[in-house]
Amino acid sequence: MDTKKKFEIERALATENQAISSGKLKEDNPLDTTETFRQFCEACRRGDLKVCQEMIQAGVNVNARDRHDYTPLILASLCGHYEVIQLLLENGALCERDTFQGERCLYNALNDRIRNLLLSYDYAKSSNPLQPLAAHITSLLTRPEPQTADLTIEAYDQTFHVHKFVLAARSPYFAKKLCAAPNTATWTLPQSIPSVSLGVALQYLYFSEVSMRRVMHGLNDEEEAQILRGIDKIGRQLEMDRLFEDITEVSDRRLLRQKRAEELARGRNQLEAWFQDNVLRNKVEVETAKVDNLKWDRDNSIYADILLRADEVEEDYESDDINASPGHSESSTPPAHNILGLLSKSRSPSRSRQPRRSIVYPAHKAMLLRSEYFSTMLTSPFREAQQTPYLQIVTLDCSPKVLETILTFLYTERSDFDLDVAIDVLFTADQLFIEKLKQRAALIISTLGNGNSSTVESENPRGETDTEEVIDIYEVIRAGWDTRVQRLEEFGARYIAYRLERYIDTPEFAEIVQESARRVKARQETDTVELVDDIRYYLSDRFRLRFEDSGLDEMMEQRGDADAIAEAMEALGVKDEDEEKKSGLLETEIEEQFAVGAIRTLDGEVAGDEFAQDAMNYQILLAKIDQLLENLDLDA
Amino acid sequence: MAAHKRAKIRVPNSLKGLHGDEVDFDNTWVTIEAAFREIHTKNASRLSYEELYRHAYRIVLKKKGEQLYKNVHDFEKGWLSREVRGDLQQLLSPNLLANAQSVASTTANERRVSGEKFLKGLKQAWGDHQVCMSMLADVLMYMDRVYCQDHRRPSIYTTAMLLFRDEILRSPLSVTDDRMILGLLNHVILEQIQMERDGDVIDKHLIKSCVHMLDGLHADDLESEDQRLYHVSFEKEYLDTSREFYEAESELMLRESDAGAYCKRAKKRIHEEEDRCRATLMESTTSKIREVVEAELIQGRIRELVEMDSGVHFMIDNDRLEELNLIYDLNARVDEKKTEVTRSIQKRIMEMGTEVNNEALAASQAPPSAQAPATDGGDKSKQTQEKNVNQQTVAAIKWVEDVLSLKDKFDKIWRRSFESDSLLDTAMFNSFRDFINSSAFPRSSENISLFIDENMKKGIKGKTEMEIDQVLDKAITLIKYVQDKDLFERYYKKHLCRRLIMNKSVSNEVEKQMIEKMKQELGPSFTSKLDAMFKDMSISADLTSGFKKHVEGLGDRDPKRIDLSISVLTKMTWPMESINGSGEGQESNRPKCNFPTAVEKVKRGFEQYYAEKHSGRELTWLPNMGTADIKAVFPKVPQKDGSFKERRHELNVSTYAMVILLLFNDLPADECLTFEEIQAQTNIPKNDLVRNLQSLAVAPRTRVLLKEPMSKEVKPTDKFYFNEGFKGNFVKIKVGVVSSGNKVESDQQRKETEKKNDDERNFVIEAAVVRIMKQRKELPHQQLVLETIGQLASQFKPEVTMIKKRIESLIEREYLERIEGAAVDSYRYLA
Repeated sequence: MDTKKKFEIERALATENQAISSGKLKEDNPLDTTETFRQFCEACRRGDLKVCQEMIQAGVNVNARDRHDYTPLILASLCGHYEVIQLLLENGALCERDTFQGERCLYNALNDRIRNLLLSYDYAKSSNPLQPLAAHITSLLTRPEPQTADLTIEAYDQTFHVHKFVLAARSPYFAKKLCAAPNTATWTLPQSIPSVSLGVALQYLYFSEVSMRRVMHGLNDEEEAQILRGIDKIGRQLEMDRLFEDITEVSDRRLLRQKRAEELARGRNQLEAWFQDNVLRNKVEVETAKVDNLKWDRDNSIYADILLRADEVEEDYESDDINASPGHSESSTPPAHNILGLLSKSRSPSRSRQPRRSIVYPAHKAMLLRSEYFSTMLTSPFREAQQTPYLQIVTLDCSPKVLETILTFLYTERSDFDLDVAIDVLFTADQLFIEKLKQRAALIISTLGNGNSSTVESENPRGETDTEEVIDIYEVIRAGWDTRVQRLEEFGARYIAYRLERYIDTPEFAEIVQESARRVKARQETDTVELVDDIRYYLSDRFRLRFEDSGLDEMMEQRGDADAIAEAMEALGVKDEDEEKKSGLLETEIEEQFAVGAIRTLDGEVAGDEFAQDAMNYQILLAKIDQLLENLDLDA
Repeated sequence: MAAHKRAKIRVPNSLKGLHGDEVDFDNTWVTIEAAFREIHTKNASRLSYEELYRHAYRIVLKKKGEQLYKNVHDFEKGWLSREVRGDLQQLLSPNLLANAQSVASTTANERRVSGEKFLKGLKQAWGDHQVCMSMLADVLMYMDRVYCQDHRRPSIYTTAMLLFRDEILRSPLSVTDDRMILGLLNHVILEQIQMERDGDVIDKHLIKSCVHMLDGLHADDLESEDQRLYHVSFEKEYLDTSREFYEAESELMLRESDAGAYCKRAKKRIHEEEDRCRATLMESTTSKIREVVEAELIQGRIRELVEMDSGVHFMIDNDRLEELNLIYDLNARVDEKKTEVTRSIQKRIMEMGTEVNNEALAASQAPPSAQAPATDGGDKSKQTQEKNVNQQTVAAIKWVEDVLSLKDKFDKIWRRSFESDSLLDTAMFNSFRDFINSSAFPRSSENISLFIDENMKKGIKGKTEMEIDQVLDKAITLIKYVQDKDLFERYYKKHLCRRLIMNKSVSNEVEKQMIEKMKQELGPSFTSKLDAMFKDMSISADLTSGFKKHVEGLGDRDPKRIDLSISVLTKMTWPMESINGSGEGQESNRPKCNFPTAVEKVKRGFEQYYAEKHSGRELTWLPNMGTADIKAVFPKVPQKDGSFKERRHELNVSTYAMVILLLFNDLPADECLTFEEIQAQTNIPKNDLVRNLQSLAVAPRTRVLLKEPMSKEVKPTDKFYFNEGFKGNFVKIKVGVVSSGNKVESDQQRKETEKKNDDERNFVIEAAVVRIMKQRKELPHQQLVLETIGQLASQFKPEVTMIKKRIESLIEREYLERIEGAAVDSYRYLA
């Protein structure tokens, strides 16, 4: 790997500063002295996943720097919080080689694991988080199947098939024009404008990175000038004032990227605004029984070409009868997916009398294609793909809230939702093959679901019972298995490990261990139970942290040095007898204590010595796991 | 949102307690199965994708993926074996079934129609199956992604394709007939292809789609690349039947057509098969079928083909370049070395070359017959011999030209028909070399040198540089063929020597160009002596002018002074034997010519001058090579207009002739000298004297002397007078000396030349042996011989016996010794 020399980095830094001060370049890491940012940095330093996630969701700038020139990413990698670093990187924290802050971050990484993680997110390799959305929209211009375009623009030598909703979202001119006549099917380009110019403008509208050099290739000066005039004209007519400026090429890599990022963000915001104002605002709430009466014309004001329906969850489980939902005419349909138990629980029972309601969202096939499920559906010869006088209503097997989350993601790449819908989003995204959203849901569960405690467990070193639980951890683990998200299983193991005292004796725990073992056997004959392995790992993590924090390891190594020990004892306020007890306990008595079944009662005996207690608890918990496996007749 | 913050999140209820829910599955499956039926009966447009997908999704999520997979599998199996197979069996007409066993009595047309019907049915079934299965796979996407991947099952689509193979292709034709549909399919396709070969038009597209089906299916369940049904089942049969067909066809064609037509047909067949692979079958078969066709049509037949009456021999003789190209192409397809064509070409070259050789021999030996002029009635035999030599020279030059035109012919064939193939180039080169160096024709070196000589003296006159270059190149090509380069060098030197000394060359530039070309082709060692000859010539020019100045410097203004132009030749570089005059024995016993006093004085003057410049060098005078310009005054004789006038002529004569003529200066008119008197006074060798007297007294245009009796032959008793009445039309008269040009050697001369050459070879061989041994110190006999031959290859090809003799001789002279007791004969070098 080639590393830049110090002077090279300094020189780069100097030119960068110059560019920033002259206003050409935006600063990657602006100074932020607000209290919120300070708290954010603090959370990164401590490794508090939950706070980090909450603050990121609240919109803190992950790439800012504090008074001491530290960025959150540097802090987290310096302090070695792997999960936090992952979270930051997934939320757009920059770590690029050959930049000052990037190299600094890599240099500060606590260990190689973190360093490699940072490198794997190097900007040079990864792309703008909005790129998938942009790429999809760009592909709509050329995608032959299924046919989603609803407007034809005819130039004298070329025909363009475009989407009204994209034009309306991106260009105020089209928005007005189309609003006036929503069922226009063709539009003719004035002869005076070259079709190439229109092509460029359309590419720009469709989020494509326009390369003027490629467009102009092989043309003479006059043709070039004509095309440029055409673009200028179009830009003015369509009220895309930035068009001309944005397609002018920039040679600097970073500047180009920055421009592109800005353009994508702007485009996304336009699309989002349009989505909010049109799609979401036009959702229709109807009684489920009457949903079939809903008729949408093909020519509608928001150019929707499909309707998506999601049914409200019935409050009353007994009345959750398939006959109640006329959408499913077949009697053999299994019970509708009853999601969001938590929502139903929180509602007042008085609402159960009301007829069941459904929400119907108008949508555009072009955007739904981002999901493999829809793209298969819409290219297949099945009913959904056929042209009907009124828009087809496709039912989705989820709550309206989840559907709205999914639509938001498909249209805007935004995926901010709360823990309460996260599991449902996870399942639905899995069902619809929207991989990114699935990962996003898993991320939200594994960060926000972490409870109020930080990963360091500084407030709760001995795994005392949490005052309340936010999640049903068993179900999270099972969901992870069902949807094949490794991260959730790891999260679950970690979660349990840090609260093992609470779970170890419950039958549910035994059950899930057995399930995990079965999963393994279903694949191949190996002897480990993955979940238990993970729990053991995180358990050692949990206690080792404590030992390392207090420097106990070192002290134990220096046993021979009486002075040092005495000093340490004194510092820790430990009596001499205790020292004997402790040493014996650490070396031999632990086993004895297991033998006599000494459990938590020991707490009292060794009162005042937290380390000994931790060590004991650790051993006790491990022993309990072994016991459990034995009972379950599992080798491990 | 805040309201829910405190709430627990849990998995949706419907997903809870999924384990062990049986009833649900069966109901759902009924729905799914009904939908699948609709899909198979092409009623899918009513079905809701969303609903079907949801059912399948739930089943998989409930861990019932395996059951679903199995049910789908069983459903497809049932559908194929009941519905599709039945439909197909309907299409099997009796005559189609009969065909499968033997060639029935049905007409080709009937067979084609029923075959096509079957293929169409199968294609339809396969197409439907594919469409339906891709719809099923769409619906079961979640199962494919989750269940199949986790459990390493092939996707449902793949499985269904395998089912088609097992349930349709491998199913029996009917209840009573247990042959497989696959076999029938192969047979029908092959039959259609046979029809096409016979000139019928068939539905290529239809066959291609069936072939695609076979290519898409695998014989095993692992989908390994080499187990495609197309390869395993169809291709082999196709290749086998093709082999049979082409074997028969080649038999027939050999009997019925000539070689050219055969080649054309074979090539067409190969192209046809290639096209067929492209349009009807798979591209991957192209190379295999080509191999089969080539094996049958070419491999086994090429020899016969080449040797047919209309084979290569015929094609060469009749310039059938296209056919030659065809046969070359065919041969190249099966044999990288093109053995057969090469062999026949070589044979033909040898034949034609030997013919040229023989013609040349015959021409040179043929009696001069009618051409011999019997006019003067002189001594016939001498005359004849003279003529004979001329005739031989002409024959030699003709030989060279024949060889060149032969070479041109084969070059053209090589370029136009053999695609400038390098292997054939070498082969042809070898053949040319072989006949040119054939032991039955020992004159090639001499002939080639003569050819160059001829061109240098006359041939290139008035030619452009380009043309000259062409001539030189031709000569060089021929030289390259010559194996005994030393012999050629010897002749060339001899001929060059004459040209230089007698100033016969048209252009010195061209001579030098030629040497330069030889240097490029044969290396500088070959031309070093030739270069030296040119150097001698230029030094001599300097000497001449130097001497002239020297004489002027003496202040001795003698009006009778004789201008001397001299060529000093280094003895080692110049071929002395040819200079000394042929057949007159060694230089040592050669009599010294008596020069007239005036000449003698100049001669001594030069010797003195030369000795001052180069001490210790001895000059030997070669009057037989020199020429002299003398002014002769003839007495007044009456002219046509009646006046009397002295006539002055400048005579250009040989040195000997000058010596002879000067004798008559001192002689009173009307007196004569006899031959013997002349010989006694001049001491000119008899042979030269005869020749000079002949040119002075016999040749009518230059008859400065009169002879008595007047006859062609010069006899010792003849008397010679000064011819006072000599009439010349020009002031300058060149008196040629008979037979001084470069002519072909007589047999005796050649033997001498060869002997001399062999003597020199002996030295060269010894030198090479010593060189090698000095370096290696010890060497086994065999290796020594090999290395010696290797070292000398560029000069000549030594005979092994010769080398052996030289080694013996070296041992005798104690350069080498035998190593006693060595396992193989070995020698050691003695320093």
